[in-house]
Amino acid sequence: MKHLKLVIILMMLVMTGSVWAQQDVPPTPPGFTDWNDVLQQARGTTVNWYMWGGSDAINTFVDEFYGTVLQEEYGITLNRVPVADTVDAINLVLTEAEAGITEGGAVDMIWINGENFFTLRQADLLYGPWAETIPNSTLVNWENPAVAYDFGVPVEGYESPWSSAQLHFIYDSARMSADDLPHNFDELTAWIEANPGRFTYIAPGTGGFMGTRFVKEVLYSISGGYEQWVGEWNPELYAEWAPQLWDYLNGWESNLWRSGETYPANENELAQLFANGEVDFAMTQAVAGAGPLITAGLIPDTSRAFTFEQYSIGDYNYVAIPNNATNKAAALVLANLLLRPDRQAGHIRPETGFGLGYAIDINRVDDTDQAILEQAFVDLGDGAADPALLAAAFAPDMAPESQSIIETDWEANVLRK
Amino acid sequence: MSSESKPSGWQLIALLAPAVLVLLVLFGGGLAYSILQSLGWQPLIGQYRLSLDAYTSLLFSREYAEVFWSGLAFSLWISAASTLISTVLAVIVALLIYHTVRGTRLWTFLFQFNLPVPHLVAGVGMLFLLSQSGLLSRGTAALGLTHTPSDFPVLVRDTNGIGIIIAYVWKETPFIGIILLGVLRSISDSYDITARNLGANFWQRFRYIILPLITPSLLSASLIVFAFTFGAYEIPALVGVRFPRALPVTALRLFTDADLNARPQAMALSILIALIISLVIGVYLWLRGMAERLN
Repeated sequence: MKHLKLVIILMMLVMTGSVWAQQDVPPTPPGFTDWNDVLQQARGTTVNWYMWGGSDAINTFVDEFYGTVLQEEYGITLNRVPVADTVDAINLVLTEAEAGITEGGAVDMIWINGENFFTLRQADLLYGPWAETIPNSTLVNWENPAVAYDFGVPVEGYESPWSSAQLHFIYDSARMSADDLPHNFDELTAWIEANPGRFTYIAPGTGGFMGTRFVKEVLYSISGGYEQWVGEWNPELYAEWAPQLWDYLNGWESNLWRSGETYPANENELAQLFANGEVDFAMTQAVAGAGPLITAGLIPDTSRAFTFEQYSIGDYNYVAIPNNATNKAAALVLANLLLRPDRQAGHIRPETGFGLGYAIDINRVDDTDQAILEQAFVDLGDGAADPALLAAAFAPDMAPESQSIIETDWEANVLRK
Repeated sequence: MSSESKPSGWQLIALLAPAVLVLLVLFGGGLAYSILQSLGWQPLIGQYRLSLDAYTSLLFSREYAEVFWSGLAFSLWISAASTLISTVLAVIVALLIYHTVRGTRLWTFLFQFNLPVPHLVAGVGMLFLLSQSGLLSRGTAALGLTHTPSDFPVLVRDTNGIGIIIAYVWKETPFIGIILLGVLRSISDSYDITARNLGANFWQRFRYIILPLITPSLLSASLIVFAFTFGAYEIPALVGVRFPRALPVTALRLFTDADLNARPQAMALSILIALIISLVIGVYLWLRGMAERLN
């Protein structure tokens, strides 16, 4: 027993040592032992990724840019399932839950954000928390509230970012000079009056989320700022400003395309009108501006993006995994791949047809990757608006309740009047 | 005469069972589920109380009433107009083809070639052809008749449903016409020859011989077209506008709404659409029965 003290000290050292060692072990996604376990379970399987299919350019991009890498490096087959609106994928998950399908669900991963994320969180149908357990999550700046809060709803690890988007506009440099461009909503109103029938915006509604965003920007502009609108939904504030918003939009109607009788239902329809010469402005959310649409051959080569000086709403978009997903492992591998620096640097380029912004923080990657990311930014090309101007005009989005309220009220107060 | 010429009661049941079962389970089951949901039964959000709230909300509430009644008027308009126009056109074309001497096969083929074209494709085709920056507009621009897209009349995506009616007429005229051709060919032309010999002119022959003979099939075909165009989704969704919106398009939009509370309304609207079609058909058949008895 003369060695007892020594034994006790040794044991205490071992225990504290193992506690330190525990802190070095990365967290693992729920249900898996470690990342190698995830990779192993994913190999040789197919992952069903439900995402908005309204852009041919993005569809082809996803199949080539991620599908081939998944197959070659991880042995995973990507099955991209296009939906007309993300809410369709949400409904599928909800219907399966209603039918009692708690595992083996059809949806493995959804490209999601905003009110759709809110719906699934409310119904507690998402797998997680996993977003901070995947290896590349260290590259994401989770301290940034724009990442950690999705439309004001805390993410809490239930979704992982893919890219960032910011709503701004496209014009055709062959038809208009940059000097004639409006840079705020008052100038836009004057332009519409001077050019009747040459402007329209996307109708807020299913598949028309860019239209809803545009209407919110108008609301920010006429109410003098966005600070009062972010955070929790304030029905009184909305009730105060809504009538003025509808009056403002109705004031445009007689000078809009088709006299405001109808509006294009989504980004593609507006791009078609723009390309056919029926209207003079299109809209985009891609950091690469007009580039992706030009690559897809949807708009003329002379198209350029530009932004207003303020109130350009931007946000991050994410991927989430339903609780009843059949193939969580492959979904995790895919989510991790989306954040890989070479993939991030790739997806911002206009040639890919995607052109949305970064989700990772350029300061958190190592030097070689940092060079690649910076170069990609430089290579955005002529079709893109000045990133510095975009950053200066950035405004966050409102609380999730705003989405359907604005869509319904717009239809009742602007479309039907 | 063997005793097996007429199936016994049990044999009859066994022979009909497969078809009836499919009908009962799939169609009847779906119908029953829709009715239940329209009465508010939604286990997913814990709603088990049955009520007519969805129906009253559709018909009278501030939120839905305008959409419902305008949609009803619009759907009735496009169905009635499409059915009437296609019926008249089908009769004309069928009679013309019936009376051609040479090339009957060619004309018949040309008349019916678009039958296998899906309605969705027909809708997209109409958009490409008739929109203000479509093929026809580019033709008139090349001819110097129009100078900008806005000079060309609005034919598709218009608030009067003209584009929808054009698309439906294009698709349904051959449908009715082919049925009529079949009936015309099965009528013995001895009636026609006798009438001509007795001095009847074309209008008299048409009114007193041909029309009564083709009316039963004409009526059935028109009712099918009416029911179809009233409940169909693709063409009004593609070629129509946001307001006024045909009822089936609104029903689907309510069904896919992120708010699950809108689902009973979606089901209620679908049931109402079915009821309205049944009502229209019922009224029409009753009127016809009355007309026959008066004759």
